[in-house]
Amino acid sequence: MNKFVHKLSICIFTPLLSVVVVLACLTAQGQSVEFNQHIRPLLSNKCFACHGPDANQREAGLRLDLEASATAKLASGARAIVPGDLNQSEIWQRINSEDEFSRMPPKEHSNPLSSAEKQLIKQWIQQGAKYQIHWAFIQPDRPLLPTVSTQGWARNPVDYFVLSNLESKGLLPAHPAEKEALIRRLAFDLTGLPPTLEDIDSFLADDSPDNYEQVVEKYLASPAYGENLASFWLDLARYADTNGYQYDTERKHWVWRDWVIHAYNTNKSFADFTIEQLAGDLLPDATPHQILATGFNRNHGITIEGGVIGEEYRTEYVMDRLTTTASIWMGLTVGCARCHDHKYDPISQKEFYALYAYFNLVPERGQNGFQPQMQVSSPLAEHRLSSISARLVALQSDLSSAQNDLTGLEPWAQALVKQGNTWRVLEAQTAKSSGGTTITPQADHSLLISGLNPKNDIYTFTFRTEQQNLTALRLQCLTHPSLPGGGPGRHGNSNFVLTGIELTASSITDPNESRKITFRKARADYNQPRYNVMAALDPNRSTGWAVDGPTRKEPATAIFEFKDSVGYKGGTTLSLTLRHEAPFGTHGIGRPRISISSKPADTVPFDAIDSAIIDAAKRAPTERSEQQTELLIAYYQSNFSPAKAIKDEIKRLQDLQKGGFPATMIMRDQPGIRKTHILNRGQYNEPTTEVSLGTPGVLPSLKPDQLKNRLGLAQWLTSDNHPLTARVTVNRYWQMFFGTGLVKTAEDFGNQGTAPSHPQLLDYLATEFIDSGWDIKHLHRFIVTSATYRQSSKVGRENYKQDPENIFLSRGPRMRLTAEQVRDNALAISGLLLNTMGGASVYPYQPKGIWLELNNRPGYSRAYPQGTGEQLYRRSLYTFWKRTVPSPMMKTLDAPEREFCTLKRSYTNTPLQSLLLLNGVQFVEAARHMASNLLKRPFESDSQRITHGFRLATGRLPSHEELSLLTEAFKQQTDTFRHDPLAVSNLLNVGDSPTDNALDPVRLASWTAFCRILLNLDETITKG
Amino acid sequence: MNQVLEESYLLTNRRQFFGRASTGIGMAALASMLNADEAPQMSALPGLPHFPPRAKRVIYLLQSGAPSQVDLYDYKPSLEKLHMQELPAEIRNGQRLTGMTAGQAKFPIVKSPFAFQQQGNSGMWLSELLPHLGGVADNLCLINSMYTEAINHDPAITFFQSGHQQPGRPSLGSWLSYGLGSETENLPSFIVMLTKNSFNQAQPIYDRLWGSGFLPSRFQGVKLRSQGDPVLYLNDPAKLDQKTRRNLLDSIAKLNSRRETEVGDPEINTRIAQYEMAYKMQTSVPELANVNDEPESTFSLYGESAKEPGTHAFNCLMARRMAERGVRFIQVFHRGWDHHSNCQGNLPILAKQTDQGSAALIADLKQRDMLKDTLVIWGGEFGRTVYAQGNPASFGRDHHPRCFSIWMAGGGIQGGLTYGKTDDFCYNVAENGVHVHDFHATILHLMGINHERLTYRFQGRDYRLTDVHGQVVEGILT
Repeated sequence: MNKFVHKLSICIFTPLLSVVVVLACLTAQGQSVEFNQHIRPLLSNKCFACHGPDANQREAGLRLDLEASATAKLASGARAIVPGDLNQSEIWQRINSEDEFSRMPPKEHSNPLSSAEKQLIKQWIQQGAKYQIHWAFIQPDRPLLPTVSTQGWARNPVDYFVLSNLESKGLLPAHPAEKEALIRRLAFDLTGLPPTLEDIDSFLADDSPDNYEQVVEKYLASPAYGENLASFWLDLARYADTNGYQYDTERKHWVWRDWVIHAYNTNKSFADFTIEQLAGDLLPDATPHQILATGFNRNHGITIEGGVIGEEYRTEYVMDRLTTTASIWMGLTVGCARCHDHKYDPISQKEFYALYAYFNLVPERGQNGFQPQMQVSSPLAEHRLSSISARLVALQSDLSSAQNDLTGLEPWAQALVKQGNTWRVLEAQTAKSSGGTTITPQADHSLLISGLNPKNDIYTFTFRTEQQNLTALRLQCLTHPSLPGGGPGRHGNSNFVLTGIELTASSITDPNESRKITFRKARADYNQPRYNVMAALDPNRSTGWAVDGPTRKEPATAIFEFKDSVGYKGGTTLSLTLRHEAPFGTHGIGRPRISISSKPADTVPFDAIDSAIIDAAKRAPTERSEQQTELLIAYYQSNFSPAKAIKDEIKRLQDLQKGGFPATMIMRDQPGIRKTHILNRGQYNEPTTEVSLGTPGVLPSLKPDQLKNRLGLAQWLTSDNHPLTARVTVNRYWQMFFGTGLVKTAEDFGNQGTAPSHPQLLDYLATEFIDSGWDIKHLHRFIVTSATYRQSSKVGRENYKQDPENIFLSRGPRMRLTAEQVRDNALAISGLLLNTMGGASVYPYQPKGIWLELNNRPGYSRAYPQGTGEQLYRRSLYTFWKRTVPSPMMKTLDAPEREFCTLKRSYTNTPLQSLLLLNGVQFVEAARHMASNLLKRPFESDSQRITHGFRLATGRLPSHEELSLLTEAFKQQTDTFRHDPLAVSNLLNVGDSPTDNALDPVRLASWTAFCRILLNLDETITKG
Repeated sequence: MNQVLEESYLLTNRRQFFGRASTGIGMAALASMLNADEAPQMSALPGLPHFPPRAKRVIYLLQSGAPSQVDLYDYKPSLEKLHMQELPAEIRNGQRLTGMTAGQAKFPIVKSPFAFQQQGNSGMWLSELLPHLGGVADNLCLINSMYTEAINHDPAITFFQSGHQQPGRPSLGSWLSYGLGSETENLPSFIVMLTKNSFNQAQPIYDRLWGSGFLPSRFQGVKLRSQGDPVLYLNDPAKLDQKTRRNLLDSIAKLNSRRETEVGDPEINTRIAQYEMAYKMQTSVPELANVNDEPESTFSLYGESAKEPGTHAFNCLMARRMAERGVRFIQVFHRGWDHHSNCQGNLPILAKQTDQGSAALIADLKQRDMLKDTLVIWGGEFGRTVYAQGNPASFGRDHHPRCFSIWMAGGGIQGGLTYGKTDDFCYNVAENGVHVHDFHATILHLMGINHERLTYRFQGRDYRLTDVHGQVVEGILT
């Protein structure tokens, strides 16, 4: 049963694989001590903090990470290291000193050197104290394949490295995984979804030698591949649907997510994937989609908190871009050098800010820093878009003939007259702001407010009208691209609060005739809860009318009804005051437009045809002025002629073409916008020396043809000679397949990171990746077709105990599915999964109240808008991601908050996860659907049904013993439900989707309970 | 180290699993497949606590929004003379202001409209708004010399919760869970409760305030809710009875253990144990949340509102019930202290919401002899300005980082002590300043942890709650 062969030397008995123990043993066997492998990690951990790269913290002028300074004569006259001479080496004297004041590391240091570590240092000095450059900073060479003694096992180069390592430890690989297990593992790894039973059956039936490779190709070509890969990338890219920080308002950034899915599915090379996301805007003749890609570095949080100092936060955004970029592409923790030279890696504070400078030219603000943006269509919509374009061409030609058809004009005009006019838009005679803002009249007589944005602002407008019997005033609060966030208000969150309104009417002929209008009532087409428009009428200046600017972003209209009608013969001057005096400040209306009406005030609608048009319609065709005729025809053509339908359709299609896609935040450089300085202690307000763009000296220098901007940086990262990018990337993909990277610290390839378990394999994969033209699918194919990947994980307890993390790769990967995969799996096997690709985020099931219990601030918060129908069953990567309150389904299963770049999720195993899978509505409903499908299929026996259900959940047939356990469980559930009609209806009522009434409820409930068991099996939620 | 932890965690759960074997699935076969030579359960990190702790648990009543120290705690007779005078520039001394008052032309000092009284044998000065707290004053250590760097809510509360102003670090409670493990097998070791908020200008809070940052996510706080399931997904939406649920879990366990025999992956056994723990929580959590078993004397102590889930008093009572059941770190978030306007109208409301419950908690712990090893903390994320925001007649107060007040009580803390002093303007610390890092160092110290030695390696660096700062505030310890 267990093919794990024990020839372990005594060194390797510990499951902790303590590096030191292993190495001490190796050296005892007479092998040479290597600086990179043995000494550097030790010095880095114990000595570099005071004797390393950080010049400001360096003690005694001693630097141990560089050979020259470590062997140089110190001020004291001694030399820290004298190669080959232990007694002359001060370091050896100091680490063994009896005097606690001169002993190193100092007493207060929490990590004293162990005797094994001292032994290593001793041997290293005795052997000549040879230094090496840190392995990760040396360009990888393609290693030769090692020779192996086990013949016939290796399928591709990966296996030679793994096998040779196993053989050196006296181990053997595991047997190949069973076919059902293998295809299930592969399907999850490439598509994030389980294989269908048809896929499994045809793979089982196919005996051709390349049957597995064919399945690999099929899954690599599946659209689900892009979705699965994207869901991993979103963690790195800190993608979310909200802006983070305390208010955590919503953003629409999903078009960028569509770009990622599309990029993976079209197998964009990793070099282009990199260049477009980091610097697509700077490419020559950049396409809209290349610019869209730069949304990557706008995924960071953005604050709207009132009272923040903008520059403090803008600095954080730039920091975030840099640390994210450095983590993902270089595996370096450059953030350590924000405040001081890096303590472990050769990155100075100056070099940190030289990198920072690349990301510091964006024309953006700290508070409400949502610009620059660009409206770009989703690349996933391309096919649909091209058919729309063709249709538009046809419609345009239909339109020109329909346009000239005016036969219906006069009958329409007469009908209009009968209807009567309602609203007349007024043109302002004067417009003033108490806060000194700029007011610009627009062609439609609206008044656009811009410039200063004072805390409180009072607008005063005057108008003239000949109309009498005025009964109501209409205030339209329109939107405009220049207003923040595209909503109707001037505050950064797009809201306004109208706290008061006053209107005075005076006779033009006799200015002594004047009176202040009393409003009897106000109504609005939208009121924010607790900010009803009626509050604008009360004298309280801290209450008023608001319209949920942060979430709604649409125009709003209010009607103020007069207590008594007004209007003087010979004309009336109206003086209108709009007050914005709420305590929060800067909440002015952005673009008001004023109209009046003489219709009965309580019935007049919010929207109606302008009276100028009605005036024109009233006149006989011959009596209309030229201007009136034009106005009337234009209005008729755009609203009522046969051309209207065509125009509507054109507009609808054009909206789909672009307007259907929200503007996405993008990167843009504005050279010269600001200089970059070293920031003392990393503080935004303590700039010191000015620095210019540059890359760290320890890495290859920029090539002459690489520009001094982000594009040059992206090209530099993807140069064939960059030692880090390819290694770091293949390692992360390895981690995706095997759970742990070849370098366990995927986030740190520096001195403090762990050494690679298979250094040559890492370099082989890195060079293979570069040589393939950074071909991601090639790399994935390369890994999953190896014999290493195809090993079984069913290897028995001893193997797991010896190597809990599978460092030696003597078995196949076995790990819990990701949060997204756990949920998608339940949806897929129950038949509920709706497999449409891309688009806006959706709101699946969530317990009530989770959003509002943390944030119930009006205007900034809302209840979770749980979706209905199809929205509940989309793949989890489309689940709305709120940073401050992530989906509890995802969060419970270890998804990060996405406040910052996450390179590796934790995989925990908690009671809260058990509760979710047992009781989450999504999972209970999935069980019901799975049961329903089982019942509807024509099986000969329940036993077959049980087997089928088990196969759906695990991909394999149950053993004899399992079948009897399953049967017993099913019988037990049936017994329960047969006697408990209430339990039946309770269980069948979970979830929004209807229950199939054709099925016997007791039977359906019993099968539902049975399927709940299946969905909760360890194997169901595990890739094994 | 991580590995060691995983292993001990696993052992814990195996023990739990067999602990309930008599009532559960009773699979003796399962016992044989696990190693019999399990060490005694040790869920704390090796070597922890570093020294004998003074407190076994912490109850932290966090007052989000920042209560005004001028009006509640820091008695300033000097303000009588300074009332309505301009704050001198040398006192402000370059303090950066929030965008809310940076544009204000004048900074008139406004004295507290509330009277202060001396309370207890110690004569501690407290505002008339805190009558109940006055009754337990001799148990309190009032620190008037707290200070921070942050001037806005998000960074300030994130700093208090995680020792860093930007998101991403583990919260205080998760550090304690990570370091000290759990005292209870039936409940999470770190529980968070929120007061239902009624003040519509209250600052929002967020999951990450009790998150685990880069620590494994099982150390994050579990939210105990006052609506719906007390713990998310605790209850079966199908409301099946206990026997049916038991059968369901037994079936799952049997199939899982079969699989474990085949595969050998110990994660499967952990999974079995976690389903058992989940089952136990379905009993232990409702039992915890059901305050009907409390005698009437409890409600005369905490007030009638303690019967109503979601009030501060209810949460204080719950905190005591959790403390009795071995929960290590209990945090109550009360929102609504952000009074940029109308301090005079708003403060009495907020004080009334929190005063009786907080004081009752101290008295209750004391009468149960639990105060001696329970650390109770009350405080916000910064203070409020002595000068008026807006119209001095209906004044509000803006955010103030340079001095503010919190109090601590219980295990290892000197009662009846007023610690630290501010200047006559209640603007700067004059004596014995306590920084947020010092506050954290002190809490860890009381829990038996040297704050410099509780570390976690992430991205190549050994992180601490206190970063590279923090001094234990010896002056407040017994």
